[in-house]
Amino acid sequence: MPIKTWELDPNFKNEILNEQGGEHLTACYQCSTCTLGCPITELVPSYNPRKIIQMSLLGMRTEVLSNPDLWICAICQTCTARCPQNVVVGDVLAVIRRLAEKAEEAGEIKIESPRPLFETAFLHTVEKYGRLYDIGLAMEYYPKREGSFVAGQKAMMNDYMGFGMRMFLKGKMGPLGGHGLFKGLLASKIKQRDVMEKIFKWVEEKEK
Amino acid sequence: MSVEKLAYLPGCPSEATALEQHMSTEAVFEKLGVELVEVEEWNCCGAAEAEDPNLVYALNARNLAIAEKDNLDIMTPCSICYYNLARTNNALKANEELRAEIKAIDPSLEYNGTITPKHVLDVLMNDIGPEEIKSKLVKKVELKVAPYYGCYLGRPPETAFDDPDDPVLMDQLIELIGGENVPFSAMKTKCCGGPLMMTRGDLAFEMARKILERAKNAGADCIALACPLCGMMLDAKQPDVEKALNVKFEMPIVYITQLLGLALGIDSKKLGLQKNVVDTKKILEKVV
Ligand code: SF4
Ligand code: SF4
Repeated sequence: MPIKTWELDPNFKNEILNEQGGEHLTACYQCSTCTLGCPITELVPSYNPRKIIQMSLLGMRTEVLSNPDLWICAICQTCTARCPQNVVVGDVLAVIRRLAEKAEEAGEIKIESPRPLFETAFLHTVEKYGRLYDIGLAMEYYPKREGSFVAGQKAMMNDYMGFGMRMFLKGKMGPLGGHGLFKGLLASKIKQRDVMEKIFKWVEEKEK
Repeated sequence: MSVEKLAYLPGCPSEATALEQHMSTEAVFEKLGVELVEVEEWNCCGAAEAEDPNLVYALNARNLAIAEKDNLDIMTPCSICYYNLARTNNALKANEELRAEIKAIDPSLEYNGTITPKHVLDVLMNDIGPEEIKSKLVKKVELKVAPYYGCYLGRPPETAFDDPDDPVLMDQLIELIGGENVPFSAMKTKCCGGPLMMTRGDLAFEMARKILERAKNAGADCIALACPLCGMMLDAKQPDVEKALNVKFEMPIVYITQLLGLALGIDSKKLGLQKNVVDTKKILEKVV
């Protein structure tokens, strides 16, 4: 890819350096150890965390933030464990993903992956109940991912038919399963849900 | 024995998909004479979905604070809960300002860094120890086992308690209870794909396939693991992986606490072995 020097943003690396987990970015000496051990690179040869770091250091802000590969990292931390320069590679990628979400909110880029929707739906259930609520998560995620309620229900059925039935038959979800009559169908709620609300509010304020 | 009582954080999957991990953990610790006090009204750790460290710290400060009130170290069977608890503990211990800021959100989040988060495998092998466990074994689990550790026990270095590339604690426990470890080093700590299941199922299935395939080719009777997300991916989703990729594994997946429980003479129902998705009957035949 040709680099247009006049489009580079020399401040981009500082945006990453200033975030928790991004502190050691500039120690990277481009050895590729991170990429060689990555299980995603093994499946998708073009996936390259070393290159994402190089482009970040160069200031290729828009290219980095709109790179769809950001969203296929499995957060396994193999890269982090192996980096000889103590770059917390896994966390650097997480920092860049969060910067990408902010850039999308600001209308600068468009994220093609459904992963932010999934993470948001997951955290909504935590905020609301204090614990993960699988069904609540699915009911928010699928319609948003598919663009409509009906398409969402269809995709959800597709993913959950076999799996949901297995969970039901094993007494892990559904009426009469597990410890409770409606295990998994109803949300498991904690009493101090107001604290959850306060936590999420604090995080939101801090992000500003 | 150095440990008598621990705070216990079961984690969200303990209520549904990883019910058997929860059941077997409770049963094993009861048998070993270690009292588990469930963290009252525990909350979700944020899992891998909370990418903002501040959110992770605040969520986990609450669970840590509840355990700290009882002056108990906190143990969890979930690798991701462990990772989030441990990094929160590190961050809050090192940063007084952050501690104060989190306490200011709500008094229930006041954590002073006086306890230690632990994963079940760490407690079993390093705190209770092989000698103590050995003295309580009544049966032999004569299985060929593929020991699968997944991501967060040996990585990242900041919170790891076993080797990142060639961890040994589960191997040792399997040998202790009469099992044999099949050659599995290449896969022991390779990601199962779990975090991508809902957004890139195709990649997640491929990652799971590699692990299942290697275990099968190595002649394993089962895969042993220590994380509910790995359990979800390799056990609950195994029929989906088989269907999507047109392969057949029928590889039983068991939590390490279920295997240990069998060797301790605990009834298989109490260990939830009827709740694993891939049938575990063949495993029970090899408990003598
Ligand atoms: S392993 Fe570390 S130093 Fe090497 S390329 Fe990756 S981030 Fe840079
Ligand atoms: S954390 Fe992401 S980039 Fe690093 S090795 Fe794992 S999948 Fe690859």
